[in-house]
Amino acid sequence: MKKILAIGLSVLMTAFLFAGCTKQAGSTTSEAQNTSGEKFVFKHGFDLDYPPYSYRNDDGEMGGFDVELCQAVCEYNGWDYQPVPFNWDAKDAELSAGNCDCIWSGFTRNGREDDYTWSISYSDNTQMIMVPDDSDIKTLADLEGKVVGVQTATSAYDLLNDEEGQLELKNTFKDLKVYDTYTIAFNDLQVGGIDAIAIDVTSGNFLMNSNKGYHFLDDVLGSEQYAIGFRKGEEELCEQVNQALLALVENGTYDQIGQKYPDIYEYLCLKPEGQE
Amino acid sequence: MANTNMEIENNQDKIVLKMENIHKRFGHLEVLEGIDLTVKHGEVISIIGPSGSGKSTLLRCATFLESIDKGEIVYLDKKAVTTSNSGKVIYSPKAEMKEIKQYFGLVFQQFNLFPHWSVLQNVMDAPLKVLKRDKKEVEAEARVLLERMGLADKADSYPCNLSGGQQQRVAIARALAMKPEILFFDEPTSALDPELTIEVLKIIRKLAEEKMTMVIVTHEMSFARAVSNRVIFMDGGFIVEQGDPEQVFGNPSRDRTKQFLKSYSEQA
Amino acid sequence: MTFPTMLMTMASGMLRTILLFILTLLGSIPFGMLVVACKKSKFKPLAWLTEIYIAIMRGTPLMLQLLVWYFGPAYLFGWKVGKFSIFGLEYRFIALLIGFVLNYAAYFAEIYRSGIDSMPVGQYEAAEILGYSKPQTFFGIILPQVVKRVLPAVTNEVITLVKDTSLASILTYEEVFSLAKQISASQTSFLPFVVAGVFYFIANYVVAWIMKALEKSMQYYK
Repeated sequence: MKKILAIGLSVLMTAFLFAGCTKQAGSTTSEAQNTSGEKFVFKHGFDLDYPPYSYRNDDGEMGGFDVELCQAVCEYNGWDYQPVPFNWDAKDAELSAGNCDCIWSGFTRNGREDDYTWSISYSDNTQMIMVPDDSDIKTLADLEGKVVGVQTATSAYDLLNDEEGQLELKNTFKDLKVYDTYTIAFNDLQVGGIDAIAIDVTSGNFLMNSNKGYHFLDDVLGSEQYAIGFRKGEEELCEQVNQALLALVENGTYDQIGQKYPDIYEYLCLKPEGQE
Repeated sequence: MANTNMEIENNQDKIVLKMENIHKRFGHLEVLEGIDLTVKHGEVISIIGPSGSGKSTLLRCATFLESIDKGEIVYLDKKAVTTSNSGKVIYSPKAEMKEIKQYFGLVFQQFNLFPHWSVLQNVMDAPLKVLKRDKKEVEAEARVLLERMGLADKADSYPCNLSGGQQQRVAIARALAMKPEILFFDEPTSALDPELTIEVLKIIRKLAEEKMTMVIVTHEMSFARAVSNRVIFMDGGFIVEQGDPEQVFGNPSRDRTKQFLKSYSEQA
Repeated sequence: MTFPTMLMTMASGMLRTILLFILTLLGSIPFGMLVVACKKSKFKPLAWLTEIYIAIMRGTPLMLQLLVWYFGPAYLFGWKVGKFSIFGLEYRFIALLIGFVLNYAAYFAEIYRSGIDSMPVGQYEAAEILGYSKPQTFFGIILPQVVKRVLPAVTNEVITLVKDTSLASILTYEEVFSLAKQISASQTSFLPFVVAGVFYFIANYVVAWIMKALEKSMQYYK
């Protein structure tokens, strides 16, 4: 009984904390850029449901490669770091309302080039098809007449709905099921609700690490780059982040953080000069 | 038992209700402590007494809204409840009880009309659904009943649009539509203003003249005196005194009765 | 994507929203009645079970319940539920209906119960004296009055249901809100949400209008 109470209380408190968080984020504006005296607060907008880039880690804290890298950038620039976890569907509203300064959460720039001011790309990303080991699906062509799952508002989803992407392939599917999160899509794959999942290689690796019996098809669905999206026209802020990123690459911090995330390490595309 | 009614006809020796040694407890509170009551055809009996004396409970036991803890209840020739030697109270089988329940009607203090039905439907529904009688016949009878209650023009009204007195008259019509052998009234005018009380009492008086068998729990002393053949004074779960209304009201034999009637006339 | 295309896509989602809405009501309104009957049952274990059922349905998020109905059998018994279908309906859709109907039946049951409990005992007594059977009393006398009493609370619940249908997206049911999310993400536009909002508003306006007409039709008595 006590335990239940304790859990209930902590849930409530977390809720309050979050409420406080967002309020704070909403009330500050980005005008304080680089004014002397007060420290600039950099508001990092991200989705807490996108491991391993940004998620609630095993300790229950906000973490992930993007979160750590952003914190390093802030430290380098002498800014205060402020996390602004948001609902992925509301990212544009959050950004344009000034609740956050950037969208930095495994955010694909391909296809959105004109919608944001983009930083340099810091990670490659490939979209793959994940199937159970005993599946008879061996190539993309085998997906004909199958049910495929994908998470809403992801690059894999966009790719499958893009005429210049894989729309044609999608039209061979029996059905494309759209999930709120990949976790549920993966569960559905496990219980036989779908035959395959279209997913970023990094997210896919993350899922397969904790669940044996699944693999990617050799055929690649598509590839793209992750970068940081700023409000259109905020070139100055973007440039400051770019400079910090490059510096962190040079001093090895970027690599150090990357090593903590073996699922994505091989896709991190920034290398110190002379190591290309 | 003394019956002072001078107009006894042959079939009026018929006993409609016989209650014997009725006991009723609510928890530890003894509400009825061995009541005997016999009602003959055509009799009008008023039950008076202070509140908490058990008179309403007696009606509720007679109409099976409350179960009894000991005793015997017989309607006409049908035994409804008996008590075995071991003290177990035995009610008759369901089918028989259903028949017995058609011998009596009850008019409530709070009318308890069905608010979602028109006046006519309130009167007609039970004969139609419970007795499964012919609709035309039932409707004709219902209209006659409403006419007698002075409510012919209210047939299509809804209870919420009627005065308390009108509602109570509908309730009486509803009870009469089932053609009961005996009609119980549980303080039928207690929820009414004085001027509305009169119109209800008039109806009851008319029924008495028509030789309707009735048992009336009431606080209207002068009415009880005028309309009944027999008056029963109850107190503390006992029948303290009963008899001819002139005797009970005019020359009560028990101190408790005198006391009660005195306090009542002082109030009035 | 052009605006008319978007509108058409989302209208198809709205049809699915309405379908789920209607099926849920058709199931939960009568089932709630059965739940009240069980809760008021003299057979105590049944009454307790019903109480637990209502507590769970009201005490946990509907979204979680939907996941449990769909994935539960797989985790408990190892069934490949994704392959099930009954009468040509995917188990996915059946789980969705079970989840919505059982959840809303619990809420409706509580509303009915409060309505039934608010009925004056005199109505039962009058019916008993007149010789009505128990079913006659309940269906002819009590229920019509209870309906009138609970209608405002039911209206609230029904309007909530219109909006709750968006939870169905958790099981990939493409109702209007999940389509809005998808289109909004791929078009980098807020417009689909506005359109979804307008759809919901219209739907609830119609619902409120119907319920009001129902309430009015019962205003002939107090």
